[in-house]
Amino acid sequence: MNEAPRPVIVLREVTKTYALGEISVQALRGVSFRIAAGEYVAIMGPSGSGKSTLMNTLGCLDRPSTGSYELDGVDVGTLGDNALAAIRLKKLGFVFQGFNLLARTSALKNVALPLFYAGMPSRARNAAAADRLREVGLADRLDHKPNELSGGQQQRVAIARALVNDPAVVLADEPTGNLDSQTSEEIMALFEQLNAAGRTIIMVTHDEEVAAHAKRVIRVRDGLIVADERTAAAPIG
Amino acid sequence: MLQYLLEALGVLWANKTRSFLTTLGLIIGVMAVIAIQILGSGMAGAVTGVLGAINDKSFSIFPNARQADFTRAAISVAEIDRATRTVPNLVAGIPLGSTTLEVRLGTAHAKLRLAAESDRRFITSPIRYGIGFTREQIAAGAHVCILLDTAAAKLQVDGDPVGRSIRAGDRRYTIVGVLAKSTSGIVPNVIQSDVLIPYTSYERDYARGRPVLGARFLVGDAGRLIDTENATLAYFTALKHGRALYQTIDRKTFASAVDGIFAGLTLIVALIGAVSLVVAGIGILNIMLVSVAERTREIGLRKAIGATRFQVLAQFFIEALLLSSIGCAMGLVLGLAIGAGVNEIALVQISGVVAPIPWLRSVLIATSFATIVTLVFGTYPAYRAAQLDPIEALRYE
Repeated sequence: MNEAPRPVIVLREVTKTYALGEISVQALRGVSFRIAAGEYVAIMGPSGSGKSTLMNTLGCLDRPSTGSYELDGVDVGTLGDNALAAIRLKKLGFVFQGFNLLARTSALKNVALPLFYAGMPSRARNAAAADRLREVGLADRLDHKPNELSGGQQQRVAIARALVNDPAVVLADEPTGNLDSQTSEEIMALFEQLNAAGRTIIMVTHDEEVAAHAKRVIRVRDGLIVADERTAAAPIG
Repeated sequence: MLQYLLEALGVLWANKTRSFLTTLGLIIGVMAVIAIQILGSGMAGAVTGVLGAINDKSFSIFPNARQADFTRAAISVAEIDRATRTVPNLVAGIPLGSTTLEVRLGTAHAKLRLAAESDRRFITSPIRYGIGFTREQIAAGAHVCILLDTAAAKLQVDGDPVGRSIRAGDRRYTIVGVLAKSTSGIVPNVIQSDVLIPYTSYERDYARGRPVLGARFLVGDAGRLIDTENATLAYFTALKHGRALYQTIDRKTFASAVDGIFAGLTLIVALIGAVSLVVAGIGILNIMLVSVAERTREIGLRKAIGATRFQVLAQFFIEALLLSSIGCAMGLVLGLAIGAGVNEIALVQISGVVAPIPWLRSVLIATSFATIVTLVFGTYPAYRAAQLDPIEALRYE
């Protein structure tokens, strides 16, 4: 296979073991893969397969028990909490199933939030946030609060927020799980558009139809990768 | 830092109701404490006022209330006269007590309190018209009177009324003088009166040999006041063959009694204030904790997008700091308004003494409460928020 020249994600024999009382549960039992810049990957698996743990590990919310994880050239397995937070801030963008927008806060402020933690001054924050909202087609909704927006619009705001710090990787966790099929299509189209523009996207889903939009599908079961394939439609690159 | 402040303000403003309810306890607590301590200094002013009104050359003597047979210690006006003549350094004595009568002057009438006075003046308010009683008027038990400012007002005296007569019950008294309002504070109730008549007239017309409430004496040498009080106590005790108990009150003992009462009141009130602030603080703690629970997903999100523990801690801490500062500032303003208002209406009107409002102390109290409440009750929720695991927090429903 033709790997892209620059890998943004390199997982080597990653395991993750949780201690639940006296029993320890091995959620990941040796996962290795690399994802190149510009890829659009779907991670699939039934519940309990370890895909959430994998997602948390990729999102630097959790550290692997053994193995190594290199994100954009940084070995994150050895980093402390604050360094992990900095990695999440600079290199990752999250899109959640439940949108997770701040209530009673405008779309603009929601999108600008990561830049606040990056220490950017307020004026620059708002300008960058407005740009991203335009990019996701919400130029006329800057001052709307989440409860004044439809589900699809809320997810667009969340995507704009994920993009605002210009991350190396966008991580989407069941991004269409709370949306109807037509809105899902719109969101998927947006992801494709972002990928076409060069964004690296990793999406966790259990929906084959959604996964079909990705160019590569990694299937997880019982903490192991059982399949890693390019989808028919997708050109490699 | 400014960024955090603005961000926290934004969060608080976006959740106005929650913010207001959080501060409510603090507003009320600080308001109460500030108002109370302004009233406290107002009361202290009033005490000073009372002191000013009491002649520092006078003292009163009463039968001690804690004796089996109270009547055995009863004092009559004749005995007061004898004491005045016998005990060294006593220069005048009058019976304590008053009688309330319907008093008329021309067409005006009012219910007024008549009390006894001597030619040596016990009531030292400045004279507005006329003169005090003469020695002859006292000796003769003349039908004359002096109006205090309260009586002059109630009888609608306009101009100089000296020479006119009032009718009290079925007796007439010719007005020989009118007193102006006392310049120095309130007069204790027991020596409060509206119309003064010679004590000899008071005895003949109203007391008529019956026991009176007590006696007031004037001394010649104020430096020997205590000795004279003791001598007078001894005189009356001997007069009753040692079978009666008496007590004296002068300016000093009265002041210390009043001070004691106020000190007790202030302590109680301060305790209530402290308790209310603790309750307010716990309210803030509770609402902040609830807020952390409610905002778990928000905290999870903030951490997921890259907020460090310290940043979350700082955010919640600054929110708590802002809430308590705003609460304390509002409490301070309300407390000052209420304290100053009640002080003006209730205390200044009565005592005529304007006590300075302790601005600095009020601000210091409010500031220290804000600090304490933030540190004690704001830190823990902030710490809890900062410790949340983002994965758990994001999953939180």
